[in-house]
Amino acid sequence: MISMEITATKKGIRVIGIILLVYALLVATHEGEFWPFSIYPMFSQAGNPWTRAMVLDVTDQSEELIWEKHSLENRQWPPVPVREYGVDQIDFSNFISKTEHWTEPRKAALNNMFGSYPKDGMKWMTVKVHGQLIGKDSVAVEIVPWLLVTEDGVFENPNLDSSLYIGGGGQ
Amino acid sequence: MTWYHKIGAELFEPDREQTPGELIFFKLFEAFIVFYTIKFVWEWGIYSQIRNMEVVLPLGIANYFDVSLFFDYNLALINAALITLLIVIAFFRMGPRWLYMVIILLFHLQYVIRFSQGEIPHSQNLIGMSVFCLAIGAIFFPGQKQMPRFVMGSIIFFIGLGYTSAFFAKLIGTGINWYDGRHLWLWISEKSIDILSREGVYNPNLLQQMALGSTAVASIILLIGWLTEFIGFTMWWKKLRPYTVTLLIGMHFGITLTMNIRFDAFVIQLILVGYPWYRVIDTYLKTTPEMIKRWA
Repeated sequence: MISMEITATKKGIRVIGIILLVYALLVATHEGEFWPFSIYPMFSQAGNPWTRAMVLDVTDQSEELIWEKHSLENRQWPPVPVREYGVDQIDFSNFISKTEHWTEPRKAALNNMFGSYPKDGMKWMTVKVHGQLIGKDSVAVEIVPWLLVTEDGVFENPNLDSSLYIGGGGQ
Repeated sequence: MTWYHKIGAELFEPDREQTPGELIFFKLFEAFIVFYTIKFVWEWGIYSQIRNMEVVLPLGIANYFDVSLFFDYNLALINAALITLLIVIAFFRMGPRWLYMVIILLFHLQYVIRFSQGEIPHSQNLIGMSVFCLAIGAIFFPGQKQMPRFVMGSIIFFIGLGYTSAFFAKLIGTGINWYDGRHLWLWISEKSIDILSREGVYNPNLLQQMALGSTAVASIILLIGWLTEFIGFTMWWKKLRPYTVTLLIGMHFGITLTMNIRFDAFVIQLILVGYPWYRVIDTYLKTTPEMIKRWA
């Protein structure tokens, strides 16, 4: 018994060709992504500075110090492991780094992300972390305190220009 | 015979007779796809229901209507339940031929609901692509004679294409210096922040330490990975397939070790499609069980 004849094979290639055409049209018109079709652009742009986010526990720390920018090597506050609170790190990081307009609903969404935390006087600082190549042989990583989350609300960094929270997501 | 018909002959192997092993393997493979589809749609549905509040990045059909509607009223969970029901019916060939096409549309919808928060993951693409190939196979190549060959052949085609296109995306996106080891330093440091944030602690492993300690080592790691991606398309040729797939699996282990990115479903699927498992089954089984014939 022959399973797939020559004619069916030719039809198979024709069908793949048509799928390829649809594939190309969809990814071309949707910035390379129309799931499950993709041009697989991850890691295609190398060497660019990056921005991620994390949460530092600044409970009981001096109000003056918690808003200061500092390098990763000089980090003083312990990170809050977001997975323990059911939060997807990649989602969280994108949420912080890609949001350009920090409207009240956006801040509320950040507060909602961690459920009932922080509570009992806890103070959690969401920080942006920037990395870039410096010179020929090193990577510099800087921590920028971004939004303080407490039971009482979400607060912007007073040391930063407030315009950064409205359309200045690049910081 | 034109060059593309030759490739077709390598993918669909019209000269090879169908054996019990092929049919059984195909059904096992389809069960694997069904399992992961159900796993993903429920994981995405539950996450969307609990966490998603606003659409940060609309993908696919989310560009054309507001999918935040699905964050409430359990709609993402209802969609997951619907996909589960339909894919089980499709697996047992109890529904119409176009059922898998409906499933891939709902699966796409579930993806854009879940991943509307800024992240664009690719680790589930192969499962989605396989459901899509099942949809095309069920419509244009129905029946046990043609469907297994078309589905497996087309999946192999798109996997090979995906890796090779990723090579060119890097060449176009960065240039020939893509493999500069310092680029790996940047990615390792970026991923280290994700792990530090997720777990509260991060310690580089041996390979990462070696890469961070020497630009040359880091460059070699990137170059090997990049060239392996380039030869992805060689898996279209059945004799080369096991070797190409072995290299690709090795590359994925390399990515896991250097950048802490795991592609479980991807790697399992590569293991399944890369080697002629039907031959192993054929050494033990000489006839096709009735139920497999019914569900083929």
